[in-house]
Amino acid sequence: MRDGGRPDRERGGRELGEERELGGDCVDLDAVRESRRLRRVQTEAVVETPSAGRGAGPLTVLVAIRGQGEGEARQARERALRALTGFGEGVEVVLLPDLRGCLAQAELRPTDLILVASVVDEECEAFLRSRPGNGTPVVLLLRDASAQSILRAFRAGAADCIDANGPPEELGERIRSWATDPPRAIARAQRSFDRPLRDHAENILAHMNSALLVVDTEGRITFANPAAESILAARPGALRGRPLESWLVTSSGRPNLVERTLGEAKSFKGAETLARDANGATVPIGLSCSPLRDSEGRPKGAVAIFQDLSEIKHLQSQVVQSEKMASIGQLAAGVAHEINNPMGFIHANLSQLSEYVSDLQRVFEKVDGLRKSSAASSDEAVLASLEEFDVLAREIDLEFVLGDIGKALLESQEGSERIRHIVQDLRDFARTDGDGPSEADINQCIDSTANIAWTMMKHCVELEKDYGDLPPLRCFPMQLQQVFMNLLVNAYQAIQERYGDSGERGRIVVRTRPEGDGVCVQVRDTGAGIPKENLGRIFEPFFTTKPVGAGTGLGLANSYGIVRRHGGTMTAESEEGEGSCFELWLPLDPADAILEGSEPPVYGRAGLPEGSSEA
Amino acid sequence: MNGVTPTLLIVDDEDRILNALRRSLRREGFELVCASTPDEALRIADDRPLAAVLCDHKMPAMSGDALLAAIADRQPSAELILLTGWPEAVPAERLESIGVRTVLPKPWDDGELKQRLREVLIA
Repeated sequence: MRDGGRPDRERGGRELGEERELGGDCVDLDAVRESRRLRRVQTEAVVETPSAGRGAGPLTVLVAIRGQGEGEARQARERALRALTGFGEGVEVVLLPDLRGCLAQAELRPTDLILVASVVDEECEAFLRSRPGNGTPVVLLLRDASAQSILRAFRAGAADCIDANGPPEELGERIRSWATDPPRAIARAQRSFDRPLRDHAENILAHMNSALLVVDTEGRITFANPAAESILAARPGALRGRPLESWLVTSSGRPNLVERTLGEAKSFKGAETLARDANGATVPIGLSCSPLRDSEGRPKGAVAIFQDLSEIKHLQSQVVQSEKMASIGQLAAGVAHEINNPMGFIHANLSQLSEYVSDLQRVFEKVDGLRKSSAASSDEAVLASLEEFDVLAREIDLEFVLGDIGKALLESQEGSERIRHIVQDLRDFARTDGDGPSEADINQCIDSTANIAWTMMKHCVELEKDYGDLPPLRCFPMQLQQVFMNLLVNAYQAIQERYGDSGERGRIVVRTRPEGDGVCVQVRDTGAGIPKENLGRIFEPFFTTKPVGAGTGLGLANSYGIVRRHGGTMTAESEEGEGSCFELWLPLDPADAILEGSEPPVYGRAGLPEGSSEA
Repeated sequence: MNGVTPTLLIVDDEDRILNALRRSLRREGFELVCASTPDEALRIADDRPLAAVLCDHKMPAMSGDALLAAIADRQPSAELILLTGWPEAVPAERLESIGVRTVLPKPWDDGELKQRLREVLIA
């Protein structure tokens, strides 16, 4: 007899993800099947032996009443004895107070039937497994005929389980049939085993986390559990009969995993692939597939088990984004630093040159004065010098040089000032968030991001900044910069979509205002706008209207997540053909738990329902 | 003060920065002394009283904050100014513990630098 009772967890990944324990026991279906088969063999063996009924002498029945109180024990005894009356031939009943005694008795004398009134606990299972009397059928009378107990008992080797609280005549009949008509008794036992087994199995299928689909040899769905219906957004029962292509996205030319399982009768584990739900949306899934056979071993179809990977993929992309931002940050910081040193002395020297020029111009004024007063001289040498001076002045166009030198210097200084600002913005943008939140000026945050973004979009966008007077805000500035960059880039792309190469310029307005306990930031564009039917989905991970490869559809989802993690809210309004407006609100001082992500945000702006994402 | 021109020590490993600073500050009422290595700077600090020290942060031999700390040991009354292309590199607590009250970014604003030094002169 198999050492059943312990579910074999090493068995090749029948279920991905966590194993669900229902009622404390995992039923190993293989073990059950195995025990049924063996029991059949064993019971048939009983029919063979001469001691089994029908004219070969009195039947020996051992009755063990176990572990109940005085009154109950007596009731059980009476019930058992009553059940045993009505046998055609004589029956010898041996009453035993416990299982050990019963086991011993079964060794001593040939026994036709063992009746046990007991709870199905470990001692009972051990008794069953030890095959008392070397294969005598053991019928359990159960006061608690729950599915769990029944399955446990059968698994351990009971020939039959009967509800002790059932009608006594039925009790009697069933017990007698084990002695008089074993095949019938076996068939009956099988039925009484099947139902709880099926209920138990259905229970597992209904509650498990993973989606489970059974398909036939053509690939049509014959069974879908509730988890599958949920992931594929199907109404209960709606998946039955659907072909593979309806829910599994196949890349052209190559058979999908289920097709391969059906074709090659091989199992496949843990493949990342895409499913399509009832709304046509793609869902990333982790899929495992194995062939299904009937009890004769013939191919019957396949079982597909999968999980929805959307959340994991979303988290993964956030990590990748953060890492990308971090390396860009490091690069920017390094470059900024390298530029700063030469900028230091260029800037300072230009300033100095300006002063020098100013001084020299004063000198020239005096020289001019000297020239004028010398003109009246009669000294030959002086007049000759004056003449040389005038020639030189004409040659170099002294008047122009004196006039222009100031301008050249001024323009250079302005250039160096601009570089100074760009480097500062780059440094601000590149600043890493370190380990914890910090106080930040949101205007500064947006401004440095906007200045950098503007270099990319200035050829077709007019950028207007309308900054209110904002108090400092506790946040992760780098993450917020990601959000602002995302919104600005989206606005720019929308404008490009609308105006294309027409040469017309679009407009982006960035507006900040204090609002309530926080800050409101608006990014408004005159781009192509978002169709009404998409507006409710723009913050969904993987939702994108861009062609494959042009964008993951994660930018807004990431931004939305970041804003939420700051305790804020983000909404969007749009008019197709006119433009869009993205608005976010951030609290000045979110609680630590919210920033750490261990608590969902509770902040919301007045009047806006929690979690609303459409206008 | 008492008739003696106060000394300003400028330290930077890049000569052109020293030149630019010299140009900017030549008429601010200090006697300017330049050093391009920390060793040189410490020798000067051992040699004469300093009213102020203007020092770069990123230098090959020793970082600016370490040098300023060493000078502060020798001359507790000297005003310490850090000039750096990377203001975030030194945390506020460290600056406080050394006694650095002013950090100027690179590129710096001449007006701001002169103003700060003027305040030192008055003190």
